[in-house]
Amino acid sequence: MISLSFLLFVDDMAPQASGLSPPVTFIALTPCLDRSRPQTLLRMSSQAEEAAEQTSNTVEAPTSSSSTETDPTNGTIITVTVGATVPTGFEHTAAEEVKEKIGVDARVSKDRGRIYFPITTDKLFQVHLLRSVDNLFVVVAEYDHYQFKESKEETLNELQELASKLPWTSALEVWRLNRTLKKKKGHRKAGNATRAKSNAEPSEVPAAAAAAETEQQELPQVMSPDDDDAKAEVTPDSETRQQDLEDTAPEVKLIKFRVTCNRAGDKHSFSSNEAARDFGGAVQEFFQWKADMTKFDIEVLLNIHNDEVVIGIALTEESLHRRNISHFGPTTLRSTLCYGMLRLCKPQESDIILDPMCGTGAIPLEGAIEFNESFYIAGDNNDMAVNRTVNNICHIQKRRADKGSPCGLPIDTVQWDLSNLPIRTSSVDIIITDMPFGKRMGSRKKNWDLYPSCLREMARVCRPGSGKAVLLTQDKKCFAKAISRMGGLWRKLHTVWVNVGGLHAGVYLLKRTGSVFGQTPEDVHESRGRGDAQKDERDDKELC
Amino acid sequence: MKLLTHNMLTSHVKGVTKGYPLLIKATEVKVNEVDFNPKFVCRMIPKLEWSALVQAADQLGHREDLPGELVPDYEKNEDFLKKVHRVLLEVEVIEGCLQCPESGREFPISRGIPNMLLNEDEA
Repeated sequence: MISLSFLLFVDDMAPQASGLSPPVTFIALTPCLDRSRPQTLLRMSSQAEEAAEQTSNTVEAPTSSSSTETDPTNGTIITVTVGATVPTGFEHTAAEEVKEKIGVDARVSKDRGRIYFPITTDKLFQVHLLRSVDNLFVVVAEYDHYQFKESKEETLNELQELASKLPWTSALEVWRLNRTLKKKKGHRKAGNATRAKSNAEPSEVPAAAAAAETEQQELPQVMSPDDDDAKAEVTPDSETRQQDLEDTAPEVKLIKFRVTCNRAGDKHSFSSNEAARDFGGAVQEFFQWKADMTKFDIEVLLNIHNDEVVIGIALTEESLHRRNISHFGPTTLRSTLCYGMLRLCKPQESDIILDPMCGTGAIPLEGAIEFNESFYIAGDNNDMAVNRTVNNICHIQKRRADKGSPCGLPIDTVQWDLSNLPIRTSSVDIIITDMPFGKRMGSRKKNWDLYPSCLREMARVCRPGSGKAVLLTQDKKCFAKAISRMGGLWRKLHTVWVNVGGLHAGVYLLKRTGSVFGQTPEDVHESRGRGDAQKDERDDKELC
Repeated sequence: MKLLTHNMLTSHVKGVTKGYPLLIKATEVKVNEVDFNPKFVCRMIPKLEWSALVQAADQLGHREDLPGELVPDYEKNEDFLKKVHRVLLEVEVIEGCLQCPESGREFPISRGIPNMLLNEDEA
């Protein structure tokens, strides 16, 4: 990371008397030096960095269009650090996606579900193309080894003082830019049949529209309808808020904010509530924003993990990780988790991908959208599940049709019994599924019998040699036992430990061995429990 | 249900040895527009049972001029690939049933979902 030779701070005179303009133009703060700073401040997003880097930005001009550098209305390009929360266990997958779609190396906070990466403001829209992240925030400041004071009172006081000394400028600029990007997306999706937004359609807030148009011109990539689909999945709450923003011209509106504090560690003298309260109080005092827990414009994040402190500003609203699903079931997986699992198995073009226990279809649907060069067959034995899956698919297809794009998705739904799949032997390339945990669905005892027969049947339909399986389960013991007796059919390649709804689970990446089904040692001994096992196997081979 | 899926499905009624391909009896068929990707179609063809595909398309009245045998050098024949694309991904059976060619057992299709669940005595 770049180490700074000097620090930038806001004028340290009393905030009200300083050059601080009325709240909404906070970005015009005058920077100055403050050498009395007690803490070592690392990795801040600052205009100093920007000044230093601007020359190289314009010179290097990556594959994106060069209009950003020459565009006078957008102002300077700054570099900031963005933080993203991702499903724990999939940090590296997310970092891979960042490298692929944004072209930068991300720093991984292992097993903490966080990654950090630098981005220039002209490329900010790209963060919203990431499918493995749940939430995004722009880093205001990071401390690797924050020295907390001994007493709670001193610590909290220091946090309060911190509020006025942080380099807010760049982060707030990014927040503002991000809001414009989101508004623009909001207008684009006004073509959707959502009643809440219908009256926002004809009119656009003039300032935002102008800014949006400028941004539209300089966007080097056209956002495909698919991307819009994904982002357009917003909850009623956020839609209403978007509407609020549109109704008033941003420049004269009083900013509302809240502080969210996440604290972990056993040596802190304070609670997250106390930190949020005191830090928040100081932020409010400094900026003269209005505190509002529910209808806020700015969410300030105060993340404390042992002696690591990160202050950020949220770029996403909370509930975006179920982006594709409109019809939930009891165990619907987050789309970001689905994406992580799909990435793990690296779907290839024309792969036939099966989810034999699809539930509401979250995994195959995410695949049909994000890895759409493969074909997905979603199946379940349960009536409600298959119907919900079809509802979810139709919902996405309708959204696309409304935008005038070809709406067909490469996915089908079948109702079947997993232990006796009506699928030709060796015809499937990848099996990807969320196996019943036995806690939220099914039972531990049922799993004991279910898992081995599942794995056998999956091995039968999976293409020997090249086939793969990605299986999520919380019943690790049962799975380990089932798998240990299938060495002839499945080989474990990799395991990712994840957290699903508070339960510790494993995502197992398996490779189908080259052995033909019915000829491995375990097959000779195991029977299906009914009829003649060897005759069954011969029948299977005939279906090849 | 798309014909690509149908190509993978087979009857698994107990005792049946020739459960593939399933016969299709459709009462409602829909045609959707799906983005054409020639490479996708190309790579999918070797994974298909070609005659089963043609037979299925025929049963739906959507065969058009799809050949009974694969044409040589189909990889470069965009016209051909487009026809295959249409039949594989764009034609969908919404209502109807699939029939086991050996036992005659019918599996209903409703809302595009084939119900392949067997009764206790059939499994």
